[in-house]
Amino acid sequence: MDFPILTTLIVLPMAAGIAVLLLPRRRPELALPVAIASSLLPLGAALWMLVQFETGVGGFQFVEDVSWYQPWGISYHLGVDGISLLLVVLTALLFPISLLASTSIKDRIHGYAASMLFLEAGIIGVFLALDLVVFFVFWEVMLVPMYFIIGVWGGGRRVYAAIKFFLFTAFGSALMLAGILSLAFLARDQLGAPTFDFVKLLDVDLARTAQFWLFAAFGLSFAIKVPLFPLHTWLPDAHVEAPTAGSVILAGVLLKMGTYGLIRFNLTLFPEATVGLVPVLATLAVIGIVYGAVVAIVQKDIKRLVAYSSVSHLGFVVLGIFALTVQGLQGGVIQMVNHGLTTGALFLLVGMIYERRHTREISQFGGLGSVMPIYAGVFLFTAFASIGLPGLNGFVGEFYILMGSFLTLPVWAIIAATGVVLAAVYLLWAYQRMFTGPITVEENRGLRDLSVREIVILAPLVALIVFLGVYPKPALERIEPSVDAILHRIEQTTDYRVPDFGAGVVITVGEHGE
Amino acid sequence: MTNMDFLAIGPEVAVTAAAVLLLMVEVGGKPPKWVWGWIAGLGVAAALGLSIAQWVLGRGADANTYFSDMLVLDGFAAFGGIVVFTLTALGLAASWRLVASLQRRGAEFVALVLIAAAGMHLMAASAHLIMLFVALEVMSISFYVLVGITRNRADADEAALKYFLLGAFASAVFLYGIALVFAGTGHLSLYGEEDFLGATVILRPGVLLAGIAMLIVGLGFKVSAAPFHVWAPDVYQGAPSGITGFLAAGAKVGGFAALARVLTVSFDAYSDDWAPAVAVLAVASVVIGTLLAITQEDIKRMLAYSSVAHAGFILLALTAGDAGVEAVWFYVATYAIQVVAAFAVVAAVTGAAGGRSPLDAYTGLGRRSPILAGSLGLMMLAMAGIPLTTGFIGKIGVFRAAIDAGYLWAVITALVATVAGLYFYLRVIVRMYMDAPEEAAPAIPVPAGVGWTLALTSAATVALGIAPWPLLNMLRDAIPL
Repeated sequence: MDFPILTTLIVLPMAAGIAVLLLPRRRPELALPVAIASSLLPLGAALWMLVQFETGVGGFQFVEDVSWYQPWGISYHLGVDGISLLLVVLTALLFPISLLASTSIKDRIHGYAASMLFLEAGIIGVFLALDLVVFFVFWEVMLVPMYFIIGVWGGGRRVYAAIKFFLFTAFGSALMLAGILSLAFLARDQLGAPTFDFVKLLDVDLARTAQFWLFAAFGLSFAIKVPLFPLHTWLPDAHVEAPTAGSVILAGVLLKMGTYGLIRFNLTLFPEATVGLVPVLATLAVIGIVYGAVVAIVQKDIKRLVAYSSVSHLGFVVLGIFALTVQGLQGGVIQMVNHGLTTGALFLLVGMIYERRHTREISQFGGLGSVMPIYAGVFLFTAFASIGLPGLNGFVGEFYILMGSFLTLPVWAIIAATGVVLAAVYLLWAYQRMFTGPITVEENRGLRDLSVREIVILAPLVALIVFLGVYPKPALERIEPSVDAILHRIEQTTDYRVPDFGAGVVITVGEHGE
Repeated sequence: MTNMDFLAIGPEVAVTAAAVLLLMVEVGGKPPKWVWGWIAGLGVAAALGLSIAQWVLGRGADANTYFSDMLVLDGFAAFGGIVVFTLTALGLAASWRLVASLQRRGAEFVALVLIAAAGMHLMAASAHLIMLFVALEVMSISFYVLVGITRNRADADEAALKYFLLGAFASAVFLYGIALVFAGTGHLSLYGEEDFLGATVILRPGVLLAGIAMLIVGLGFKVSAAPFHVWAPDVYQGAPSGITGFLAAGAKVGGFAALARVLTVSFDAYSDDWAPAVAVLAVASVVIGTLLAITQEDIKRMLAYSSVAHAGFILLALTAGDAGVEAVWFYVATYAIQVVAAFAVVAAVTGAAGGRSPLDAYTGLGRRSPILAGSLGLMMLAMAGIPLTTGFIGKIGVFRAAIDAGYLWAVITALVATVAGLYFYLRVIVRMYMDAPEEAAPAIPVPAGVGWTLALTSAATVALGIAPWPLLNMLRDAIPL
């Protein structure tokens, strides 16, 4: 058997978390450096996996499959494909960065660093699990460290936000668990033995009604996580109250667990229901895009503004997924990564200014560009990436999504495109109020610009934003085979046909002349 | 009489002998307290060893009954013994502070715990309805006394009296149920019942069904299933904290062992009649327990209502009959461990002899005592059913069984209630870790017995949550025959 790289990816952060807890309490200054150093190990493992990953293959790679409890049909089944590959790498990248950005946390630092590392293990597990029970275990267990991160180290209304976050997610997952268990029994009737194995479940032929119910059970859980309008109300609270690193992880990877789940499970296991529910989900996605953007415009708190922008951006991802075209799905996947990078960077920037001024009110700033030029530059750069300026990564994702959804959902795509304009409004207006003009508040006069540590934190994100904007091909060609496989399965099991790219825009010249 | 005859009653003999010896030594010589510990420890260890011997020799074989069809020795009874006596050892270790505070009456206390343990195991091993009634009373009467053992607190007296009156009433209902079943079938032996009902078609089973219903009511009271749960919060709150965990866990283990054997062995032929009733009780318990737990400000009352909800989860698995027994055992055994651990923490925080334990006393416990807070937090997560704890595996087990039996509606209701239940489990964690303690709140020392109990229970809760298959494989032999 090959080296179990995927298990290593899950075990490394978990072991690191335990190691941090065992460090002597008398030396609190040790905890964070040890956590940062050990979080580089999973990053190394993830990069090794990225290099070893075979491009152009649709199936799962590095598969590990061990029976966990035979009579119940549960197996420890892990695998990675083009869709989860980049999300795992993104996760492994964001954790060292957000730990490095956590130096302002002094209280119970051991617990904090360990929670972050356990959280990393849980999230990576979610992206790698191919057995529904194992998936559910990681999905649910990762709530606990996040709950502590928000509830113990968060802002003023942290307890409220933490409980709201936990209960919203747990409500969704309760119904998902009922769905998972029912699915296993439906599988038993056809395969002879109950199974929770995702790959084996693909062979189960589900009736149309069953598909709709199961789609709803899984979909509700994922839609809460995304969050899809109108299930988004937990998000602003959780994002705003979480410490900076918590917000980065929440926006950067946690939300993607929802969209990832939709692609991985809903699209493949319940294709007929997927095709039937496209109008509903696309409509909710578009409402989310416009609503999130409009609400972001009027926010007075910059962190809340970024939080609502996530609702809008994740709406794009969902629209791309349910366009059910190669371009739309590819765009959806790459946009998950892009959003993780840009919103991660925005939350880091917000955290840096908060550490200096202990306020996030936009009106408390003004003219910062003259005292913090580097900060202002990075902020503007990231804002442009988030808006979707060509040449930066956000453009690639949004372009693919709009292109892909225009083929099947033209009206929705046109409305969604206004979201790009609105993004420019809320981000650039915020930039204008915070950075341009004369300094309006005296306390801002003495602010120091970014330190070397802060530049080190932001540099990898900035570099990747440019790289994926200029040369997205390596990412796209790894995603494409897996996306093709999903669409192929939908075509096989339903009468839906993926439109050929370009079929809608071919101009037939000359026919009118005859 | 053969050797197996003695093995069948061996564990009871061991603990009862220890109890008698303890009382005689106490009367005779006024020995130091560690002597009680040794006698009780040896008695429980011997009983546990004999239960394991029963397991090795008795599981998998045909059920053999002993003493004129009074006792049965099979995997089910043996596993029940292993759970009961492990629980007794943990419960005594965790309550040693209470024993010490009771002065000379501590010996009575220890003896009562041992006798209660004998009753609990007999409930799993009875092959006869009358024997079952005797076992039930042996356990219950010991419990009534244990609840009121402190004698100087009015709320403890009230709790004991309430428990006694309501418990006696429930026992009477149970006894009436036995009479009706006898009227309906002419048998009292559980296996005689099974043979008779398997071979006979009763044209008018009304009397029999009424009897079965009353048996369910009587045992439903013991396991605090709604709507027979009203005693639980007052009794939990009034009982000395040091022993509440043992009382709560023991009543569940004994009650569910009896319920599982009676329903799946004797009345298997009528499962279509009793399973829907059990499902309704299950859903009522889960919903009522969860909703009432949310509003509690005292952790003991909260745990009492949560135990009502847990009784509901366990009842869900029983709807599947034989196929659900594995899930029942896993849930009961692991939940018992969680309860004992949770009350061990309660006893350490607000006093082993104390009654009330308001949530406010737990504010900032994370700083005042990381070990107690960590253990209680883990148990809260386990009771909430978070993965990587036994609570999750237990819930998966009971939900699987109930879905397989066709009770998807009940499972969905229970799952939604589980989410509501998260609220009060998380609230304890909020108090311990997220609220700041008042100025100069003192650190809380952890007594050795409590420390050991917490270490063992926490390790078991996590280890069996990650790798449950040793226990699950074992349980396939623990189905009543």
